[in-house]
Amino acid sequence: MTDGPFLRMEDVLKEFPGVVANDEVDLAVGRGEIHGLLGENGAGKSTLMKILYGLYAPDGGEIRLDGRRLDLDSPQDAIERGIGMVHQHFMLIPRLTVAENVVLGEREPSALFRAESEDSWLPESFRENRVVSGLARRFSLGLDVPEQRIADLAEEYGFDIDVGASIWQLNVGQQQRVEILKALYRDVDLLILDEPTAVLTPNEAERLFDTLERLAERGLSIVFITHKLKEVKAITDRVTVLREGENVGTVDTSSVSRADLARMMVGREVLFQIDKDPAEIGDPVLRAENLRAEDERGIEALSGVDLTVRSGEIVGIAGVSGNGQSELAEALVGLRELTDGRVAIADADLTGASPRRFIDEGVSFVPEDRLEYGCAEDLSVMYNATMKDFRDDRFGGGYFLDYDELETYAETLVEEFDVRGVRDTTEMLAGDLSGGNLQKLILARELYRDPRLLVANQPTRGVDVGAIEFLRETILDQREAGTGVVLISEDLDEIFDLSDRILVIYEGEIAYETTPTEADRKRVGLEMTGGEGTDGEPTADSADQAVADGRGDS
Amino acid sequence: MAGFVAGLLDATVRASTVLVFASLGEIISERGGVLNLGVEGMMLVGALGGFVVTVVSGSYWLGFFVAGLLGVAMALIHAFLTISLSSDQVISGIMLTLLGTGLTTFFGQEWVSESISGFPRTTLPLVGEYLVGIPVVGEALFRSTAPDFIALALIPVVWFFLFRTNLGLEIISVGEDPETADTMGVDVFRMRYLCVLIGGFFAGIAGAHLSLAFSQLWVPGMTAGRGWIAVALVIFAQWRPERALIGAYLFGLLDALKLRSQAISVQVGAETPFAGTINPALDFVMHPTIMATYPYLATILVLFVTVVRFDSEQLGVPSALLEAYSRETD
Repeated sequence: MTDGPFLRMEDVLKEFPGVVANDEVDLAVGRGEIHGLLGENGAGKSTLMKILYGLYAPDGGEIRLDGRRLDLDSPQDAIERGIGMVHQHFMLIPRLTVAENVVLGEREPSALFRAESEDSWLPESFRENRVVSGLARRFSLGLDVPEQRIADLAEEYGFDIDVGASIWQLNVGQQQRVEILKALYRDVDLLILDEPTAVLTPNEAERLFDTLERLAERGLSIVFITHKLKEVKAITDRVTVLREGENVGTVDTSSVSRADLARMMVGREVLFQIDKDPAEIGDPVLRAENLRAEDERGIEALSGVDLTVRSGEIVGIAGVSGNGQSELAEALVGLRELTDGRVAIADADLTGASPRRFIDEGVSFVPEDRLEYGCAEDLSVMYNATMKDFRDDRFGGGYFLDYDELETYAETLVEEFDVRGVRDTTEMLAGDLSGGNLQKLILARELYRDPRLLVANQPTRGVDVGAIEFLRETILDQREAGTGVVLISEDLDEIFDLSDRILVIYEGEIAYETTPTEADRKRVGLEMTGGEGTDGEPTADSADQAVADGRGDS
Repeated sequence: MAGFVAGLLDATVRASTVLVFASLGEIISERGGVLNLGVEGMMLVGALGGFVVTVVSGSYWLGFFVAGLLGVAMALIHAFLTISLSSDQVISGIMLTLLGTGLTTFFGQEWVSESISGFPRTTLPLVGEYLVGIPVVGEALFRSTAPDFIALALIPVVWFFLFRTNLGLEIISVGEDPETADTMGVDVFRMRYLCVLIGGFFAGIAGAHLSLAFSQLWVPGMTAGRGWIAVALVIFAQWRPERALIGAYLFGLLDALKLRSQAISVQVGAETPFAGTINPALDFVMHPTIMATYPYLATILVLFVTVVRFDSEQLGVPSALLEAYSRETD
């Protein structure tokens, strides 16, 4: 072992067209250390790690591993130098088995041709011949020996994995363990985990942490990418914070508080208050009774939700991601088929109606994934701005479109909603707008039509601070205009600042109802994680964590 | 009747060989994630090239081999366009088919009247004589040209290559998820080139089989859509070599029936009830032009059945088919 850190990245620079993703970032990780890499979305964490794994070529800077310079052209080079990476989106091929996924790229020859194999009848000198072994590595495949090794590794770390099973048969937690096995199988010295808990349940995350600690005890260095402060505090030894591609600093985890980390990550104090006038609540605009719906896998995601929203009222739905929020939002705008229950908008029963009917009845929707569902990336700002209203009389009404009018309308929206970076609404593509500006455009499209009901799912997620303020104020203005709002958010600040009523959703059911004035944050945080039943987790903790974490999310 | 069956079987086996070659090549190409719609064009170029070389050199083996290389040359264009330049696989493939058709029509005119002595029908060494003696199927299966035997032998070879070797695992991985393959240290570009070039070679020799063994002559456009059938057959076979044989025989049978249906007339007697309706209907379904559509109808049927019956994970279609790969796009 040499002195100094095991991994040292210095002045790493990476530019994408128009963006500096990593602006001369430094990172040093010691042997056996669990090092946190913390930052908001788009802070450059993943980019930095993709450089370290050979997926991106850096535009400048130097990387040294164990004192030796690291020049990577491909992940293959990184693997050879003992670097493994567990990607945020699993790099597994569903149709192949666990063993096949693990050995992919290793070129394990059939047992008959293995040099160290004992029961092969081929003479050893023949097996060791370079041409023979080269051919055997290409034109044969032996899974028996690797399967045994994978099973041994799995047992050593207490993974319950059948090496012969196909990946698609495994659950998410098991799939992640396969990802770790892939790295262990290659005897890595440095393991990079890119937001590994994003897809895990709290229990599975707990198990992952145990595993990581055991790996670190054996001398493995671990880089743990996250934007969750709680995890940084829970597992890392030191943490490096990135903001907008720049290195804010590296600190010992034990020496800083969560609030310090949040400030480093976001660049200002995290909590902020919005003034809002008392609501003038009118007649119900949404009445949903006993909503039941399934998720994509056919598992029940909504288990009987009742929800009434009146005009001029913001109802905040708080909850940990994946507890049925997306399905609820989609059910309320007609995008998700109900297995049971009724939805009525104002006086019209729209159960089972098409999304078009919902739109016509004055329902607006800000979807969670603004690129996938919120806009058509490759169409211009003009088309995106008018996408819901182009049938209106003002644009021609019948079979023809009045393009001048479409353009004027789009320009009005861009101006009134402060969408920046648009010079020509007919030229600029929606997909080229920054996250915050795209979200403003979507909100403009949804609100300028003066809806009865707005369903907003995570409207400020991953958006920069300035835009967040604007978006929140806009939603409040709309409330004053008499629109009923369903606000779904994982950000407790947002829920508390904006809502007139707060509902907590847990495992597809409304677990708790309160108002911001009466609410006890600790109680809300507790209800979000399923009430008293959770592993004796300190309750104040989860609420605080949800508050502090609110800003950046994947 | 036995004579008719034996004759039909013989014609089926002959007609299926070209489909076996072409579809095996297409399976490898598509398993690697690259659709090759240029098969028809590559086959035509292989057919003409193989024929010309055989006429000039007198060696049908040389012609056969050169045809494969011509297929590789055309596949190289496809590989460069779709893998290196990430252009659209469908457009590139259709362009190659049009190119192959045009080139062979232009350069092939003067070779139409040429005659060759192509691959003779032989039996396998040692056991051949006994196998030929098997009633009904013996002659059809075991007195064949060399390429017929090669095609049959290639099926287990390709199966083993795809499912029991490291290269096969890597091919499947780049066809399923090139990004994952890349992170596992698999050279995605090299693998895809390999797949497309093998596919081109197989398409080339499929064409050569047509001109050097099946017909023993050259006619422009002689592939007559067999390249397209091979593409359909890959779907029918669910990207599995062993099923490609079944498909090739089935499609070969339809092909053989099409040729023979002109010689036979299937009619019910005039006294049968509804004869007035049945006979025109039979004429219609037995009409050679209508019969030529059967392979495609069969493909549609198979697609329908497989989609209804299986989960998407169990379907054979490679997940990253048609997807170009490059790093640093996200």
